[in-house]
Amino acid sequence: MLSYIVSLIGLLLLSCIVQQFLPPIAPWYGARVLVLPLVVLCGSATVSTAGMLVLAFLGGFLWDSQHIIQHPTLNPAVFAPPSDSLKFGYSIILYAFMGFLMQGIRPLFQEGKWYLSAGLTGVAIFLYLFAEHLLRSFVRGSLGFDNGIINQIGMTSLFTMLASPVVFWMLYRIADLCGQEISD
Amino acid sequence: MRPFNFLALLLFTAGLVWVFTLSEDAVRQVQKTYYSSIGPMISRGAKAEKFAHDFIQEVEHSSDLKKQLEQSQRERDRFKLIASRVRELEGENNELRSALSFQKQTEFDVIASRVIRRQPHIWNSTIEINRGAGEGMGVSLCVLASNGGLVGRVSLPGDNTSSVLLITDEESQVPARVEGTPEVGLIVGQRTAHGESPKLRLTYLSKNAILKKGMNVYTDGRGKLFPANIPIGTIDKFEAGPVYGDAEITPAVAFNNLKTVFVITDVTGD
Repeated sequence: MLSYIVSLIGLLLLSCIVQQFLPPIAPWYGARVLVLPLVVLCGSATVSTAGMLVLAFLGGFLWDSQHIIQHPTLNPAVFAPPSDSLKFGYSIILYAFMGFLMQGIRPLFQEGKWYLSAGLTGVAIFLYLFAEHLLRSFVRGSLGFDNGIINQIGMTSLFTMLASPVVFWMLYRIADLCGQEISD
Repeated sequence: MRPFNFLALLLFTAGLVWVFTLSEDAVRQVQKTYYSSIGPMISRGAKAEKFAHDFIQEVEHSSDLKKQLEQSQRERDRFKLIASRVRELEGENNELRSALSFQKQTEFDVIASRVIRRQPHIWNSTIEINRGAGEGMGVSLCVLASNGGLVGRVSLPGDNTSSVLLITDEESQVPARVEGTPEVGLIVGQRTAHGESPKLRLTYLSKNAILKKGMNVYTDGRGKLFPANIPIGTIDKFEAGPVYGDAEITPAVAFNNLKTVFVITDVTGD
């Protein structure tokens, strides 16, 4: 089990690098394939709750390291209060929620129905991006929803979901190499 | 709940508390380490992307040429092709000349940098440039385009690359003034749908401001984050609110077509 978790962490680090090479798909509303969240979600379906929490923590930590923008100390007499940033670490909570969602149908995954988990990754990514957008809108005090945002979130979820069988295949291979049984 | 899962949840919560209580400096250090580790991959990725792009163009170009050869218009088309390549090179040459002349003319000490990635984030408007802390990049250094317009500020310098927060991002704030008027305010980015040209908003203007379309907007140096008198854009329309007035601004910089930017290394604004 430990070697499998360590391999998953290795895959998580690798996905950070792969993510750098995946540009937005301009004709499809700037959609992206979110490899790192996908590895966390697919991995969550294959490990125990404790393993899922480890993945969520590391995944969220790495994601925020890349995405959170730090602001310098600004003169309050000139600049508006900087209340418009999410705190470093918020992704860990979102990843844990998505991880619990994946764990919910883990019994089905263990029965060999990996395609249900693959479908759920699309739903989970949609919920994750939707929640992230709501959080950002909330802290900025302006809730804005237009077709562009919905299409971007939807397409990103779809493309990411389509990539999930590849990640599941890799996880099966890693599990075989580690002698870990992740499903029937 | 099984005791092991309960213990894991406790450890997870403890880790979460640790992360949420990290100081800004600690977070910056974490991000710097992350970017320093991943920086070489980003540079190589940008090179690989350029190579692939050039290769695809070359392949398309070659197959076109073959078809035209078969149609016995070889010479004429070849010259056409050469002419188009010359025009392309001429354009590139002009761009580089303007970049070089900007670097010579500007009153600031600047470092020219190439944009290696656009919009690497889902929500934030950022670019990545091929200069890092080793070449003098630091947090909050001001970034300009070759026409002198304001691009943004360095948000995260890595060892070899740096991340630049564009002024079109919603989290960006730039103190600004309207030329020829006493009006000052804050420029903030606006959320735009994918494919739309980015717009800016000048907020905290007086509600009775008399502003006309086409008036120039410059940085005013307050807050010392950006030097004064850098062009930001022009007024598009003014809307008076109950307390303040807001103006929509068309940026001076073509953000969708940024190739070379200049980072000011001696901030003497205000």
